[in-house]
Amino acid sequence: MAEVFADYKWAALFDDRGIFLEGLVTTLEVAVFALILALVLGVIFGIAGVFPKTWVRIINRIYVEFFQNTPLVIQAIFLYHALPHLHIMIPVTAIGILGVGIYSGAYMSEVFRSGINAVPRGQLESGLSQGFGYWQAMWHIVLPQARRTILPALGNQAIAIVKNTSVLAMIAGGDLMYVSDSWSGMNMYYGPAYLTTGIIYWVICFTMTKYVKRLEQKGAVG
Amino acid sequence: MITMNLVNKSFGHNHVLKDVTMEVKSGEKLVVIGPSGSGKSTMIRCINMLERPDSGTVVVDGKELTQPKAPLKAVRQEVAMVFQQFNLYPHMTVLQNLTIAPVLVQNVKKEEAAESAMKFLERVGLREKADAYPSQLSGGQQQRVAIARALNMHPKIMLFDEPTSALDPEMIQEVLDVMVELAHTGITMVCVTHEMGFAKQVADRVLFMADGEILEEGTPEHFFVNPQNERARQFLSKIIH
Amino acid sequence: MKLFGKKMMAAAGIVLLAAFTAAAAGCGGSSDQKAASSAVSADSAVQKIKDNGVLRVGVKVDVPLFGYKNPQTGQIEGFEIDLAKAVAKKIFGDENKIQMVPVTAKTRGPLLDNGEVDMIAATFTINEQRKQQYSFTNPYYTDPVGLLVKKSDNIHSLKDLAGKTIAVPQGATTRKAVEDAAKKEGITVSFAEFPTYSECKAALMSGRAAAYAMDQSNLHGYVDAETEILPDSFAPQEYGIAMKKDNAGFRDYVNQVLTDMKNSGEMDQLLKKWTLNK
Repeated sequence: MAEVFADYKWAALFDDRGIFLEGLVTTLEVAVFALILALVLGVIFGIAGVFPKTWVRIINRIYVEFFQNTPLVIQAIFLYHALPHLHIMIPVTAIGILGVGIYSGAYMSEVFRSGINAVPRGQLESGLSQGFGYWQAMWHIVLPQARRTILPALGNQAIAIVKNTSVLAMIAGGDLMYVSDSWSGMNMYYGPAYLTTGIIYWVICFTMTKYVKRLEQKGAVG
Repeated sequence: MITMNLVNKSFGHNHVLKDVTMEVKSGEKLVVIGPSGSGKSTMIRCINMLERPDSGTVVVDGKELTQPKAPLKAVRQEVAMVFQQFNLYPHMTVLQNLTIAPVLVQNVKKEEAAESAMKFLERVGLREKADAYPSQLSGGQQQRVAIARALNMHPKIMLFDEPTSALDPEMIQEVLDVMVELAHTGITMVCVTHEMGFAKQVADRVLFMADGEILEEGTPEHFFVNPQNERARQFLSKIIH
Repeated sequence: MKLFGKKMMAAAGIVLLAAFTAAAAGCGGSSDQKAASSAVSADSAVQKIKDNGVLRVGVKVDVPLFGYKNPQTGQIEGFEIDLAKAVAKKIFGDENKIQMVPVTAKTRGPLLDNGEVDMIAATFTINEQRKQQYSFTNPYYTDPVGLLVKKSDNIHSLKDLAGKTIAVPQGATTRKAVEDAAKKEGITVSFAEFPTYSECKAALMSGRAAAYAMDQSNLHGYVDAETEILPDSFAPQEYGIAMKKDNAGFRDYVNQVLTDMKNSGEMDQLLKKWTLNK
């Protein structure tokens, strides 16, 4: 198995590091925007999940159940290969952001929903009785209190987003996983390629885990 | 000031309010009593639409709240509520609890809201607790803060939903004292309570509810001395030894 | 989350890295041993396969005529399958003592490396980079790269693809071949790589790519009423059977099988059988 990690393969990897860097940039780009999208969707649909009106809650369920129960890969392949037949050609980076963002948004909305549910009902009523609008009361009164239960789970979702961006490798998305596949497919130097790629993902996710833990500790004090 | 006409409300198969009709005049102090499960809490929560009646009308300060397009937020700013469980915002200081709604809902300047907040905290005897968090206060103190918070909205009507029921006995009086003092200001008050002493002391009128219906209504003198309704008599005999 | 303290996390990280390092180091050790024993002789290599009782071959299942799983019969069939069977027959005297492992362009290298298969007969193009890592037999087939395009796109030559995206399978030499050809034409094209051939075709049909480039024999399996193969063809790709680098003995053995087949006319018959004789 030594051949798999032969020195000349590492040298080739080093020479082509620019390719991997580009892939990493794409991965981070997609991850950041997908995270923002997922958070926005998570808040909106999370609140929809506890909304007084039944039809709003039904929309939340449809969204969550659909995206949680179909593989991300299929969603991405659908957006990439099928939508163009309907004359909708979304650029592949945008598919990464939309695909991963909407998919993770479903998970995040469940995080928000359960976090909101954990705040006593009286808090919302107290806000409403003071003349707050529903959304205003959510934003100023309920969500800040839900923060402590929500934050750790959100952190996990954010980390999942980074890993999930690798779905782009399936649709020629130019992300880190894709360039790793492409580069090693061309020269068969998959050993160094995948080990390096794995370590990069690990470092990113490990750093995020640390950061989330710090936030948590801060939240626990505040 | 408040008019309820033939209000009905059910939770599932449980018919909680049955054709409830009542009226509260401006400046009047109304005390609602009755056994638990009688619907009195639901009734008071219908006044500010925390519970939406299934049928009937609720009119507050001339606005019919049971209409689809009722100016709910505007009316709620005039109708402050004090809850059994206090419902202070635990992530805010006492002062922030008092100022958030005036600032965000009524567009009062922050300094103004804080200034009047301190005034009301003074009135409930908790000025020095302005920077404390609710969790650092006793139940009685929390409820007094909740009253100050309600007052800082400068409401026309104060609703009390069993404000002393969740309190340890030794803390009940400090809250009642604040409420009695408040009753002397001329504000309109509706108070659901089990505190008969308080009712006798401040009520202009007493409503007795049981099984979702108003069974007896009258001045405290009339009600406590000579109730006509059999259920009311039974209830009183159990409470007053 | 509280379960994993700071120290635990750090420790986990170290263990993970250590595992990687150990894996790499372990490999290093075994390589020294192998280097010492030098190339395995043909006899001992074949003996090892005999001991296993079956020849394990990595084959394609999605390339018609070469290695293709017939959806009607469920059998894997094709020119390369017959070649592999000929090798098995030579070793065991029984062409059915063969275990076929489906591979893709991406998985065939790793499957060889980790010893899951004895050899790869899967439209594996011989090139310098690969020869550095694997032992290849002499080529048994030469296939130029071609371009599949949609008829409605009005593309008639490689030149028309200037500035456009071309779908290629991951792990194939196609990309390099087309890149070089494009350079010669003085045009630039971009590439989208996909794990499977059918995804390449899907990308062509959805308009994600203007062409699907692959070995022509492969493309023939994907032509339909809406598509056509351009007359352009370039970079003839030589297919060889591949083994582990240090298994040159077995390579020589299989080379002999191929040569014998050529000399006896059996090879021509097979090519005719699979309509690959041009």
